Amino acid sequence: MEAIRNALDFSDFPRLDRVIALAVAALLFAFPLFPHSAFAMATMIQFLMFSLYGMGWNTIGGYGGQVDLGKAQYVGIGAYTTTVCLLRWDIPFWMSMPLGAGFAVAWSFLIGYPLFKLKGHYFAIATIATSLVLKDLFEVWKFVGAARGLGILPFKYQTPDFLRLIFKEDVYYYYVLLGFFIVGLLYMNWFRKSRLGFQLRSIKDNEEVARSLGINVHWAKIKTYAIATAFVSVVGSFHAVYIKNIEPEDTMSLDISILIALMAMLGGAGSLWGPIIGAGVLIPLKSYLKEWLGAAAGLVGIDLIIYGLIIMIISAFEPRGLWGIVEKVRRRRRV
Amino acid sequence: MDILLGSIASGILLGMVLSLVALGLTIIFGLMDIVNFAHGEFLMIGMYTGLLTAQATGLDPLLTLPLAAAIGFLLGVACYGGFVKYLLRGPMIAQLLGTFGLMLLLRNIALLFFGSEDRALHHGLLVGKSFDIGMGIIISATKLAVAVLAVLSFCGVWLLMNRTKLGKALTATALNRQGARYMGIPTERMNALAWGIGGATVTVAGALIVNFWSVNPYVGLIFTMIAFTVVALGGFGSVPGAFFAGLAVGFIMEIPGFWDFFAITFDIGWMADVPMTSFKYTWIYVAYFVIMLIRPRGLFGWKQ
Amino acid sequence: MKSSFKRARFLFCILLLTALAVPTAVKAEEIKIGVLFPLTGGAAAAGRELRSGAELALEIANSAMPDIDMTMAKNAGIKSMGGSKITLIFKDHEGNPTLGADLAKKLILDDKVHGLMGAYHSAVTKTVSAVAEQYGIPLINDSSTSPELTKQGYKWFWRTTPHDVFFTKDLFEFLKGMTEGKVKGVPAVPKQDILNLASACEKTEWGAAVSELIEKFGKDYGFEVKKSILYAAKATDLSSEVRSLIAVKPDAMLFASYTSDAILMMKTLKDQKASPKLLWGQNAGFEVPEFVSTLGDAAVGSLTRTVFIPKIAQVKPVAAKINSMYKAKTGNDLSGASARSFTGLQAWVHVLEKAGSLKPADIQKAANAIEIPGAELVVPWQGIKFATSGDDIGQNTLGMGLIGQYQKTADGKIDLEIVYPFNVATANMLYPFPKF
Repeated sequence: MEAIRNALDFSDFPRLDRVIALAVAALLFAFPLFPHSAFAMATMIQFLMFSLYGMGWNTIGGYGGQVDLGKAQYVGIGAYTTTVCLLRWDIPFWMSMPLGAGFAVAWSFLIGYPLFKLKGHYFAIATIATSLVLKDLFEVWKFVGAARGLGILPFKYQTPDFLRLIFKEDVYYYYVLLGFFIVGLLYMNWFRKSRLGFQLRSIKDNEEVARSLGINVHWAKIKTYAIATAFVSVVGSFHAVYIKNIEPEDTMSLDISILIALMAMLGGAGSLWGPIIGAGVLIPLKSYLKEWLGAAAGLVGIDLIIYGLIIMIISAFEPRGLWGIVEKVRRRRRV
Repeated sequence: MDILLGSIASGILLGMVLSLVALGLTIIFGLMDIVNFAHGEFLMIGMYTGLLTAQATGLDPLLTLPLAAAIGFLLGVACYGGFVKYLLRGPMIAQLLGTFGLMLLLRNIALLFFGSEDRALHHGLLVGKSFDIGMGIIISATKLAVAVLAVLSFCGVWLLMNRTKLGKALTATALNRQGARYMGIPTERMNALAWGIGGATVTVAGALIVNFWSVNPYVGLIFTMIAFTVVALGGFGSVPGAFFAGLAVGFIMEIPGFWDFFAITFDIGWMADVPMTSFKYTWIYVAYFVIMLIRPRGLFGWKQ
Repeated sequence: MKSSFKRARFLFCILLLTALAVPTAVKAEEIKIGVLFPLTGGAAAAGRELRSGAELALEIANSAMPDIDMTMAKNAGIKSMGGSKITLIFKDHEGNPTLGADLAKKLILDDKVHGLMGAYHSAVTKTVSAVAEQYGIPLINDSSTSPELTKQGYKWFWRTTPHDVFFTKDLFEFLKGMTEGKVKGVPAVPKQDILNLASACEKTEWGAAVSELIEKFGKDYGFEVKKSILYAAKATDLSSEVRSLIAVKPDAMLFASYTSDAILMMKTLKDQKASPKLLWGQNAGFEVPEFVSTLGDAAVGSLTRTVFIPKIAQVKPVAAKINSMYKAKTGNDLSGASARSFTGLQAWVHVLEKAGSLKPADIQKAANAIEIPGAELVVPWQGIKFATSGDDIGQNTLGMGLIGQYQKTADGKIDLEIVYPFNVATANMLYPFPKF
C-alpha cells in the first residue's frame, strides 16, 4: 500500500510540472479522438514504445549511471517469446509477455554477474558485444525462424482479440500501450524513491563510499539491470504483436539499442521525465524528417544527419539532456 | 591441409591490417581516455577516399595513401577541435553518446554524398591478381601489399612515438598529463595531435582495405567493434599491443576456416553442419567479453 | 520571464500534438497503385530496373499506342472506367521488411491506394502481403519468388512470376539433361562428374527457401549437396564463405544472391581461384546489368535462371518492340527484373479493365478471372492466369523460366544465351566453367 502511495505521489515536483504532466496525459488520452493520419498514429505509438524503452533503460543507465548499449537483445527475447508462444501453442499475450520477461531477466542475471565487473566504456562495449552475440545466435536458430524471421498473420484470429492482443486498428494498440505507459511511469516514480533507487544514487555519486556504507554495489546494479530488462522485454512483446513481423536484423539490431539509450539520455538520464521528453522530441523529429527529407525527396540520410547533430550538440553542451536544461534554468532562477 | 594454410595466411595478412585499424584508437584512448565510436566511420571515409581518388585520377589505389593520410589527419584534428574538446568536459555518458552522434553524422553524410550501394575497386596494379605459392595457398596480391604497407605504417608510427621529440611528448602526456604540463608540453595541442595521428592511421588503413573489401556507408560499425576488441586485447594505449592483438583477431576471424579444416580432415559430420561462417564476427564479440573479464588490462596495457 | 518560457514550452507540446493530428489532404478520384521497390540499399540496381519497367508499362497503359500488339496499348487509360489514368506511387523499402509493411500501411490508409505492386525482396513481400490481406487491398507480386508467399492462403495476393519451386526444378532438370546429353553442344556428362553440389544463399526469406529447395531437389534427383551456406547479403566480405565453399570441392556451385553480394561473391571466387565445373545463380543479382559491367570477363560461363533474355526479342515481336523502347529510355536491355515489373503492371491493367470499378471486391473478382494470352507478354510465358484452387492460390500457372549462360559474342560483348529449355537453346553451352 505504501508502495502504491509512493508511486502516485509526485509532490516533490513543482506545481507547474504536475499541471503540464496532467495536460499532456489528457492529450495523450484524447489524441485518437481527433482526426489523425495513420502516419501520426504510428508515430504516437512509436513515441509511447520508446518512452517505455527509455524508462527501462533509465533505471540502469540513468539512475544507475552505467551506460547500457545492449538493450536490443531483450527486445528480442520478449518479442520472440511472445511470437513463438502464439504461433506454436496459441498462448495469449498476457501469459507469454511475463514469460518473456522471465527469460529476459534470467538472461540478464546470467550475463549481468560478469558484466558488472566492468565499468564505463568497457561496460558499454561489453553490452554491445553480448547483444550482438545473441542476435547472431537467433539468426541461425531454426526454432525461431533464423534469419527469415517469424510473422503473425492477423486474419487468422478474430479481431479485436484482447487475449492475444491482435487488433486490426491501431487505436486499440494505442490505448493498451498507453495503459502500459501509465503503469510504467508510476513504477518509475516508485522506483526513484525506493530503497534501490537511493542505493543507486549513492553508488553513482561515489561507489567506494556506497560500499563502505554497506551497500552491496554489485548486487544492486544487477537487480537494477534486471528491472531494465523486464521493462524492455515487455515492450518487446508488444512490438511483436503490433508489428507482427520480427527478425533478428530488425528487432535486435544495434541501432535499436543505440536509439533507446540516445533518447533517454537526450531527454535527461537519471530523471523521471527525461526518457519521455527525449522520446517526445526525437521520435516525431525522426519520423517527420524522414517523411519530408528522406529517400522520397532524393535526399537520403539528411534526417539522420540532423539527428546526429542534435545528439552531438546536446552531449557536448548539455550532457544532462533537455531536462538538465530545465533544471539549470530553474536553479538559476532560484538564485 | 590447404584449407588450414590458406586460413593461416589469410589470418596473418588480415591481422596486420586490423592492427593498423586499431592503432589510431589506442593512441587516442591512451592519451585522453575517450572511446571514439566513430572510429569505424573514419575508416569508411578512408575507404571512400582511396576509392574515389583512384577512380578519379586513374592512379593506382596504393598511391593514394598520402592523400588519405592527409585527409584523415585533418579530419581528426577538426573533430577534436570542433567537437571532442567539449565532450571531454562532460561525464562519460556524454562522451559515449557524443561520439555516437558523430558516427551517425559521418555515416549519413557519406550516405548522402555516395549513396548506399556497394562500391569497390575494379582496377589497379594488383587488383584481382593472386599468387599461388603452392600447397594450395593462394595469396591475393592486394592483401599482401596491403599487409606490407600496414606493417610499414605501423613501424612509422612506432618510430614517431618513440624516437621523435613530438612522439615522446605525446607519450609523456598520456602517462602523466599534469606532469607533462609542468614540463611545458602543450597538452591541448597534444590532444589534437593524437586525434590527427589517430585519424590519419585509420584513414590510411581504410584506403588499404578498399583494395579488397567493398565499401558502403554502413561498414564502419563492424570495424569499430573489431577495433575495440583489438585494443582491448592489446591493452588500451599500447602501440605494440595493438600489433599483436591485431594478428590475434585476424586469426579469430579465420575461425570458420579452421573449423572447416577440422571438419573435413577428420570427417566429423556434425561439425560440417554447424554454420560457422554465420558466426564470423560473433567470435570477436565473445573474445572481447572474455578478455575484459579475464585480463582487462589486455596483453600490454598499462591502463585499466 | 521564466514562466513565459514554460508557457512557450507547453504551447510547443500542444502544437506538436496538433500537428500530428492534421489529416493529409484528400486527393481526387483517380486510379492509384502503390509500388514498393528497393530503390536504395544493396539491391538498388535491381530497384532502378524495376522502376523503369513499371514506368514504361505505365506510359503504354495511359496512352494509346496502336503499333504495340498489346491490349493495354490500345486505349489511353482504363476504358471500362471512362479512360481513367493510373498513377503509380513509388516507395522505397530499402530491403527492410518492417519498413515495407509500414509503407504499405501508409499507402493504404493515408494515400488511399486502390492496389499494390511489389516488392522484389521476398522478405518484404511477405510482410507487405500480410498488410494487404489485413486491409483487403489487392496486391500483385511481380518479382518475388519464394514459394511460401502463395502458400499462405491469402485472398488478396496474386503472383505473376513463377516461383522458386519451378525455377529450382528447372535447374535440376537441366542438370539431369546434362547427364543425358540433351544440352546443346555438350556431350553427355557422367553423373559422377557433377555429383557434388554446394550452395551459398542469402539468408532471408528468399535465399533460405532456395537453399532448402536445392537440398530437397538434390535428394530427389540423386545429387549430393555437400554444403549449404547461408550468408548476409549486406556483407562486405565473403572470403570465409567462399573458402568454406571451395573446401568441399564441389563440382557445381549454386547461388541465390542479390546485387551487391552476387558481384562480391564472384570477385571473391575469382580471388581464391575457385574452379567449379558449373556455376549457377538464381536470378536476382546475377542478371542485373551491373553484373556484367562490373565483372566483365569473369562473368563469362556463369549460368543464371532468368525470365527474360534480350534474345527473346528475336522470336517475339512484341518483346522486340518493348525492348527497344526500354533501351531508348534507359540504355539497357530489358532484364528479368524490368520485364517482370512491366508484366506486373500489365497484369494490373487487365485486372482493372475487367473489374470496371475501384471497389476492392470487384478487383478481387476480376483478378481471379483474368486470362492474358502469352503473345501479349514480353516474357516467354504461356500467359497469365491465376490459380483459384489447390495449394498455390493466386499463383500464375502459365509462367515459365529459362536458364541462360553469359557468353562472349563475336563483337566482344557479353550476353546471355538460352541453354534451357533445351529446345529453345540459342547457343552451345560452355562446359566446364572457364577458369577465372
